[in-house]
Amino acid sequence: MMKKNLLAVMAAVGMSALLLSGCGNSSKATLKVYNAGEYMDTSLLSKFEKEFDCNLVYETFDSNESMYTKILSGESYDVLIPSDYMIERLIKEDYLQKIDWDKIPNSGNLNQDVMGQEFDPDNEYSVPYFYGTVGILYDTTVVDEEDLEEGWELLRNTKYAGDIYMYDSERDSFMIALKALGYSMNTDNTDEIDAAYQWLIEQRDLMDPIYAGDDVIDNMVSGNKSIAIVYSGDAAYIMSENEDLGFYQPKEGTNQWFDCMVIMKDSEQTDLAHEFINFMLDVDNATANTAEVGYTSPVTEAYETMLKEDYAGISSYSPDMTNPLDECFRYQTSEIKQYFADLWTKVKAY
Amino acid sequence: MKYYVKMVRPYMVWSFLLIVIPMLLIAIYSVTTGGNTLVNIQFTLENFAKFAEPIYVQVFVKSLQIGLITVGICLALGYTLAYQICRFEERIQSSLILLVTIPMWINTLLRTYAWISILSDNGIINTILQALGLEPVTLMYTNFAVIIGMVSDFLPFMVIPIHTSLSKIDKSLIEAAQDLGATPFQTFTKVIFKLSIPGVLNGVIVTFLLSISTFVIPKLLGGGQYTLIGNLIENQFISVGNWNFGSALSLILTAVILLAITLMRRLDQEDKEEEL
Repeated sequence: MMKKNLLAVMAAVGMSALLLSGCGNSSKATLKVYNAGEYMDTSLLSKFEKEFDCNLVYETFDSNESMYTKILSGESYDVLIPSDYMIERLIKEDYLQKIDWDKIPNSGNLNQDVMGQEFDPDNEYSVPYFYGTVGILYDTTVVDEEDLEEGWELLRNTKYAGDIYMYDSERDSFMIALKALGYSMNTDNTDEIDAAYQWLIEQRDLMDPIYAGDDVIDNMVSGNKSIAIVYSGDAAYIMSENEDLGFYQPKEGTNQWFDCMVIMKDSEQTDLAHEFINFMLDVDNATANTAEVGYTSPVTEAYETMLKEDYAGISSYSPDMTNPLDECFRYQTSEIKQYFADLWTKVKAY
Repeated sequence: MKYYVKMVRPYMVWSFLLIVIPMLLIAIYSVTTGGNTLVNIQFTLENFAKFAEPIYVQVFVKSLQIGLITVGICLALGYTLAYQICRFEERIQSSLILLVTIPMWINTLLRTYAWISILSDNGIINTILQALGLEPVTLMYTNFAVIIGMVSDFLPFMVIPIHTSLSKIDKSLIEAAQDLGATPFQTFTKVIFKLSIPGVLNGVIVTFLLSISTFVIPKLLGGGQYTLIGNLIENQFISVGNWNFGSALSLILTAVILLAITLMRRLDQEDKEEEL
């Protein structure tokens, strides 16, 4: 869900600087949107600017955490597009304002199954943007179908040593280890967390994995390694480029995630922010967006179009959301967050 | 003259705002706990104690090793290059130095991404190897990739000061050495190299400073698991959000760099005294 691409970040920062300096035209309203990198069909941005006669400043971040750091340092935006657990944190810390659903007539296009998740049960603050799961992308010509029965332990099967991309993200890596051990990914039991840490350290010893960011996409498209941990949306894109690949969600359960649009409390462009959210839920716009990035759209019609057209036959575009062992990330207290962070630093430095 | 002294004042204010205050903040963060907002802080030395854990010391040692190797390679390549440049006519020399600096006009990120497409498993090198019927080699995500990225990035910082020192050497000293019967090797070690030491030290200091604190190059060419001290600091600030520990790490790094610079300056001074 959160892709890293420094180049894109730099380009976006550069563009927004241009936008900022280029418009001495103060009569136009300016909307600031902060989204993950490579997570939107950017032609929609200029379409929105034309339609609503405004300036749009679009910036991108490489992880929920770095977005949070930027918000914390006092930067303000109108619309943010973070993930579930980060939205829960932002709600708890009073950074968000409530959504006025009357201003979003396109809300009828939304798939109701995606709504009402635990982090915001009544969708008071958040409007779904994309959703999906985390799974194992594997090369069907190399990985034995039988080995998939091992679930997450596939990642410690020495047959594939040196042939694995892990994802360079603290919560996702610990999620895998905790699920492999049969624990909840939201545990605050330090014994369980320590066991997960041991799992990851042993994995590093055995398998020598690469902790990749968004470079995993190009690498898997060109088939550099046989196994990678990816978000279902990235998997859909990669599989549409390389047909040797399969996507698999281990039966021990995985992470179900929901990225949503939220409005910051101190936004002065509340109406325009709602217009932007409404714009993104428009069937045509949502279709263009999901076709471009490969992530699963919560707009029902866009989703169904993709199943028939761009992503026909690609299993990860319609990820399995029915496994009762799947979970959504929840808010962590700062003590537990710190505990995980220290261990994660050690896993990477190991 | 007094009039001009006053003109320094805006600069003093500027550097106070942009250098002294941030440094003070880092110092405060490093000896406190209580989150990033500095609202309810408590003083502690925990952040420094944490650094003593073997895993962090290992990271530090690895950073020093990689840094020293990079400096060594830069010195060998940079000195040779600067020396060769110095043998040309002056007019050609300045265009050659310009050529050395041209890569610096391009953003580091772009240059590093270029290395990725050269070194990756299906990159340029491996494509050529396969075309020649040879086995492909893994180059990405290794020490080799990180060091080659750093050397190519930092080389100009070594070449330029050495070239400056070399070009200032009085040619008659070299001729004198030759007249007095020194072999070319002796002329080089006893005259040319000795007189270029200030440039060498400057180059070494700058490249060492750059290579020990870098984080983008190891992150892109070494992968997320390739942790040097710079990556550790970046992580603490950007993803972990533990600014206190990050600040302590930054201070330790600053101290090490200062120490290294002082040592090298002293070397330089001893050298000068010897001459006298």
